[in-house]
Amino acid sequence: MTNDFYEITGEPLNVGEIARRIVPENCGATVTLDGYVRQFTKGRETLHLVYEAYEPMALKEMSKLIEQAHKKFEIENVGVVHRLGKLKIGETSVVISVAAPHRRAAFEACEWLIKELKRTVPIWKKEVFADGELWIEGDSQTENAKAEAEFKIFDV
Amino acid sequence: MKVKVLFFGATADETGEREIEVSLAKNTKANEALAEILEKFPRLGEHKLLFAVNQEYANGAEFIKDGDELAVFTAVSGG
Repeated sequence: MTNDFYEITGEPLNVGEIARRIVPENCGATVTLDGYVRQFTKGRETLHLVYEAYEPMALKEMSKLIEQAHKKFEIENVGVVHRLGKLKIGETSVVISVAAPHRRAAFEACEWLIKELKRTVPIWKKEVFADGELWIEGDSQTENAKAEAEFKIFDV
Repeated sequence: MKVKVLFFGATADETGEREIEVSLAKNTKANEALAEILEKFPRLGEHKLLFAVNQEYANGAEFIKDGDELAVFTAVSGG
C-alpha cells in the first residue's frame, strides 16, 4: 500500500504542504526539490514562462517514473506535482518530494526523478522574453533519449 | 479508418491546430501515419519530433487502429 501521489495543476504550488503531505513513520528524511522559474538563462532575461502538458499521458509517465524509482532506490514515498499555465519569475513549477528511511536514498531518488521527468514526461515550457517567445525543446534530453532508446526521436 | 491527432506547444504553433481528425488506410504503421501528418504540415519537419499512440511513446512499428489517439510533439521541456 503506497501513498505516492502525482498531480498536474493550474494552481500555485505550496512546497511545504506537498513535502509534508506524507510523513511515513519508518522514515527519517524527506528530500524536496522546489523547481522555480529562473530569471536569467545564459544571460537572457525571461519575463515569464508558460507551461503546457499532454495531461493524461504526462500523468501516466509520472506514475511509471515513481514505480521505477521504488525499484531503484530504498525509498518509501514519492510525491510529484507539476504546475501549468503562466508562471512568474521565482514561482514554483515543479515539486518532487521523496521520503526514505535514510536521506542518501532520498537525495539520489529525487535527482533521478527530476532528470527523468525532464526527459520523458510530456510537458513543455515556453520562455517569454522582452523581444519574443520560444517553446523550449529539450535538447540534452534528446541525447539521453537516444542513449537510453526507450522511445524514438523522429528526425525527419 | 479515422484517428485523432493532437499537437502541443511548438507543434500546435506550427500547425495552427491542437486536434485534428485524419483518415488513414487500414494497417497503417505509426511511422507511416507520422509521414502522412508531415505531408499535411511540412513545417513540423523542422523539429525533432516525438510521437505517441494512445498516450504511449511510439517507435514507429506499431499498427494504428481505428479511433486511436495520436500525438506529435517536440522533445519535452518540463521541470
